[in-house]
Amino acid sequence: MNKNIKNCFIVLLFYCLLASSIVTAQTPSNTTTASPAIVDKDIQQLKDKIANKVSEIRKQNNKAISGFVLKVDGNSMKLSNSGEVNQVKFDDTLTKVFKVLGTTKKEVKTGDIKKNDYVIISGVVAGNIITANVVLIDENFLVDSGKITEINKEAYNIKVLTSDKNTYGLDIETGTKQYMVNIKTLLKETVGFSKLKEGDTVHFVVKKTGTEKDNNYSAYKILVIPQEYFIK
Amino acid sequence: MKKETIIAIFLGLLFGGVVAVFISLKSKDIELSTNKVIAPPKENVLSPNLTGTEIQSLELSEPANNAIFDKDIIRFKGTAAKDSLIIIQSPIKDLTFKNIQEKFDLEFPLALGENSIKIVVYPKEKQFRPQEKFIKVYYIDSEL
Repeated sequence: MNKNIKNCFIVLLFYCLLASSIVTAQTPSNTTTASPAIVDKDIQQLKDKIANKVSEIRKQNNKAISGFVLKVDGNSMKLSNSGEVNQVKFDDTLTKVFKVLGTTKKEVKTGDIKKNDYVIISGVVAGNIITANVVLIDENFLVDSGKITEINKEAYNIKVLTSDKNTYGLDIETGTKQYMVNIKTLLKETVGFSKLKEGDTVHFVVKKTGTEKDNNYSAYKILVIPQEYFIK
Repeated sequence: MKKETIIAIFLGLLFGGVVAVFISLKSKDIELSTNKVIAPPKENVLSPNLTGTEIQSLELSEPANNAIFDKDIIRFKGTAAKDSLIIIQSPIKDLTFKNIQEKFDLEFPLALGENSIKIVVYPKEKQFRPQEKFIKVYYIDSEL
């Protein structure tokens, strides 16, 4: 009987020791572990750092190219700009296509891109291939300047010789914005076609469609510096 | 020949010579004042100090050609000849100003997509040729 009581006491003691050791092992130590708030802050900082680094790397590799569409087929297209041909790849999940309408834009699909459209591509370039993140269908503008060599008052057309010896014909339409630099204030003022003279310097912007003949364009806007500015 | 005659001839020749020189100088002045000189005005003539000197060339530190921006307003920073006329033109903006100091720093708006921009500097000294730069920059909205 005594032996049984002794055995029971030993078993009970062993059980108590085991239970206490388990509880001790499970109790968190206040001195070694940070609070959940600090851990969350550290994780957030790490996330921000990674996001910044990724954004930085993306910016470094991101390039923009533009040109007229030569060919579109499925997930790729070919662009031509001043004789250089670029291959563009579309990514089903990544690539977004927009049509620029003045100051606004409208999202469209890659299938809406047509041959001879002028497109601007932003994406990652590898060799001659660019994987498009963004495709913008826009208008192509030519910005240049030169001297007026000829004025056709009946056809409302002027001939301009640029510094790189190119001759452009510019049709001055009713919608063409026409400005002249005031030689005293150097501010621009709106003028009419009759104020233009041969020998004046003209800065101009034209829309290029790729179908123009003999370097003749419809002028989008002109800014004239009268020849008097150079002889005053 | 009498002595008086010789003196009279000598004085006559001397007086005649003085009158001839006077008339010659006077007629030259009259000719210059009545005729128009075909030459550029004095201020346009290359002064000895300008020959051999160079003007500040157009340097554009910002923006870089083919740069991509996620904002629709950028800054044009650079240097050009003092007192020159600078024209910066894009399809959406024409900027004309006199470069009072050599350095310039100004805001310029961008259109969505491609922006073709031409910068031309017309130096104050008209005998110097205009300086030109052409750049393309892109505004790609970060939300795209």
